[in-house]
Amino acid sequence: MLIVLVVILVIALIAVSAYALIPKPAASKIPIQLWYNNSNHYGSTEVAVALALQNSLSTCGRFQITLKSDIWTVYKENWVNQRMPMFLLGWYPDYFDTDDYISPFMGIAGAKSEGSFYNNSQVDQWVRDEASTSDPNVRADRFTKIQAALAEDVPYVPLFSAPAQAVYVNGVQNVELHPVSFKWFIINKPGATQLNASTSDHIINLDPASAYDFMSIEVINQVFDTLLVYDAKNTTLLPGLAMEVPSRANGGISADGLTYTFHLRSGVTFSDGTALNSSVVKRSIDRVMRLNLDGSAAFLLYDVGALRADHLPGDSAPGVIDTPDATTVVFHLFSPVSFFNQLMAFSVSAPVPWTYNQNGLQPSTAGSVIGTGPYVLTTHVPDQLVVLDKNLAYYNPNLYQSEGIGPIPKMDRVVINIKSTDAALKQDIETKAVDVAFRTISPVDLADLEDRQASLGLTVKHGSSPQIRFLVFNVNLVPNKAVRQAIAYAVDRGAINSLVFLGQATPLYSMIPPDLPYASPVFQSKYGDAQCAASNALLLSLGVAFELQAEIVAVARDR
Amino acid sequence: MARDGSLFAYILTRMFLAIPMLLILLTAVFVILRVLPGDPVLALWGGRSPPPSAIEAARHELGLDQPIAVQYLTYLRKIFTGDFGVSIGGTYTGQSVWSLISGRFPATVEIAIGGMLVASLVGIPLGVLAGAHRDKPVDLAVRIFGTIIWVIPIFWLGLVLQLIFGVWLRWLPANGRWSGADVPCTAPSSCQVRTGMYTVDSLIERNPAHFVNAVAHLLLPSLTLGLVLSGFFAKTVRANMLRTISADFTEAARARGVPGRAVVYKHAFKNALVPVVTVLGLQFAILFAGAVLTEKTFSIEGIGILLLNAVTSKDMSVIQGVVVFYATIIVVISLVIDVIGAMIDPRIRL
Repeated sequence: MLIVLVVILVIALIAVSAYALIPKPAASKIPIQLWYNNSNHYGSTEVAVALALQNSLSTCGRFQITLKSDIWTVYKENWVNQRMPMFLLGWYPDYFDTDDYISPFMGIAGAKSEGSFYNNSQVDQWVRDEASTSDPNVRADRFTKIQAALAEDVPYVPLFSAPAQAVYVNGVQNVELHPVSFKWFIINKPGATQLNASTSDHIINLDPASAYDFMSIEVINQVFDTLLVYDAKNTTLLPGLAMEVPSRANGGISADGLTYTFHLRSGVTFSDGTALNSSVVKRSIDRVMRLNLDGSAAFLLYDVGALRADHLPGDSAPGVIDTPDATTVVFHLFSPVSFFNQLMAFSVSAPVPWTYNQNGLQPSTAGSVIGTGPYVLTTHVPDQLVVLDKNLAYYNPNLYQSEGIGPIPKMDRVVINIKSTDAALKQDIETKAVDVAFRTISPVDLADLEDRQASLGLTVKHGSSPQIRFLVFNVNLVPNKAVRQAIAYAVDRGAINSLVFLGQATPLYSMIPPDLPYASPVFQSKYGDAQCAASNALLLSLGVAFELQAEIVAVARDR
Repeated sequence: MARDGSLFAYILTRMFLAIPMLLILLTAVFVILRVLPGDPVLALWGGRSPPPSAIEAARHELGLDQPIAVQYLTYLRKIFTGDFGVSIGGTYTGQSVWSLISGRFPATVEIAIGGMLVASLVGIPLGVLAGAHRDKPVDLAVRIFGTIIWVIPIFWLGLVLQLIFGVWLRWLPANGRWSGADVPCTAPSSCQVRTGMYTVDSLIERNPAHFVNAVAHLLLPSLTLGLVLSGFFAKTVRANMLRTISADFTEAARARGVPGRAVVYKHAFKNALVPVVTVLGLQFAILFAGAVLTEKTFSIEGIGILLLNAVTSKDMSVIQGVVVFYATIIVVISLVIDVIGAMIDPRIRL
């Protein structure tokens, strides 16, 4: 009996040992981290976006998504130092050209700074080609190829265009959700001279040489005009301080694309009464490039705009910005920049008076902010209030006459209240304490206001926004293209839109938003949405599950 | 040093003690901010990435390329010369830290004073009432009120008050500090002195409409902050009332035929206030640091929101500035409280 028991015990021990030695099959799920920022850098919906994305990827059954988050300062350091395999990011264009949605992401230098570290020399060459020519055929060809590479290599997965909305009291006119800048100076409230508004966005400062955030630029656009300005409703460039938009046809752009000539209007003055001339324009551009203020867009001039041979901060070299007479400015670029006109319509290029501080930041107080735009800043209580009063010397009141918008600015005074929270913004418009609420009412509050807009006497207006949101893969941490493609299949934009934005966002299928030239929804045709079967089949056919798990574990251990 | 009981020597001792206290605090803030992860310079450009030359220039400009010891000495030198520097965070880039603090402090002072007024007017009488009627229904009611109001999340109470008085009834403005474009004392030469506190500035302007505007905006945040604190005040006053009511001197007063009401309000209450003043004084000092949730709920740009934004953008200059400013206030108020205490009760300075 004892012998039998011993034999059974020995057999059992051998069986257990053998089982332990048998290689385990590959884990059925691929672990990967999904990062998002938790300091509301993209608004209060960010956690919900991450959760919806996690859910859509997990639903396919092959991914085990771990959510990770950090405050913006750490988040940015993390992507620069390659600590995040997959993370959420957003982009708002600096200049309204298709290039601004491509070169920062698909060019080698841009991809490195945006955290994907995508490195494809052929694509990089295509990016340089499209940026240096204005030939539509060449650009169309290059953008098509670049977008095809984007869909094939998947360093990014475009997710959605963030919605733009404004809510206003019935009767208020000309509230246009412009793709580039919200034009307070065209809004009209019949029978009133003052328009009251609220926003939950913030102004950092109002010096064109420094401002590089939405709301600061927004106010600058009301107070400062640029050489070229945008149409009231779309992104067509119109003459602003310049008399015409330079083109090859009118001789404003040289055949080699290196010389841009702007003819200024005569008799334009700043709101302090001083004259605008070519010397002032040159001095303003040089000021931006020389000061190179922290966090500013100066690099768009000395680097991207090719106004410096060394691509470094500093005054322009003699002859680069030529002023042959008081009303002519000629820019000699060091390499062709096909969107140079758009750069001249950006706030960083706004001429400032001769008296502006040449050694540092100009104060953002009333009386120190002096431009040529439709309004004058008359009160600025930081983070609380901005008051804009009509510029009586405005040079271009009939700018939008052909579009049926009479003399601008429409109102004598615009008061913009700055609120700390989205909730306060909703309260202000719900109680009609203000006439217009702009940026940013939460999706839930917006849906509530929309439901009750008839009884409240309000209008909720939706519009597309040039801001895009997307998923970034660090291609060094997730080197297997098939895994990135599988995730592209699994992403469910519809779920994000319905769960987080209550249908107010627009699904995005290329890094180039659909409203821009050359956009092609490559992710829609190649991957679609929530294609779990295709995602899983791709992973299984390539047998990448086990391999990837090893990679991710290695990454985790290295850290 | 203060053994002779001299009030002057006591004050001097307390002032000297404040110096190492501040120095330790300054050093701690400096070290903690530099040990924490996150690069404020990279974050300055939001989601964009300028060329490395721009980032290097920013690092040099902000002195972040210096050895840590040099940064520390520069930091101390600047603090002690009153130079708080400029913001290096994404929210307030390039703005003077001192102007950020001084621009927001008046808003915080206003709601701190408003909150303290409400808390004192509600909390102290309730505490006295409860103490004077120990274990009676009124005492029970005050104790329940004190507990419930103290544990209510302040933002919830704020939202409820906003909803009722701001949105439904529309009796009071739901948020902010001001309605309209004519902020008191911002028009050229409208005031000789400007405090930044709209209630005070409107009085300086002698403009009753402005004063009403300012007070109307102050009511809901003051009620929110004050009601929550009143629970704590009521409980503190009640506990001290009970201690003094059963003390020998009140027994003696009763024995000598002093009427019950006079015993409670003249003898017990007065003596109960001595420790209460110390606690309330410190509470007041804490409010100066900014009632973050109240400021956020009512969209009031005070020190609380400034600090919150500075922390989330790792704005080292602003965090340092606010902490030093706050520490100085706490040290000064503690000193004042100690001095008052020493004046009232000479035993303290022995």
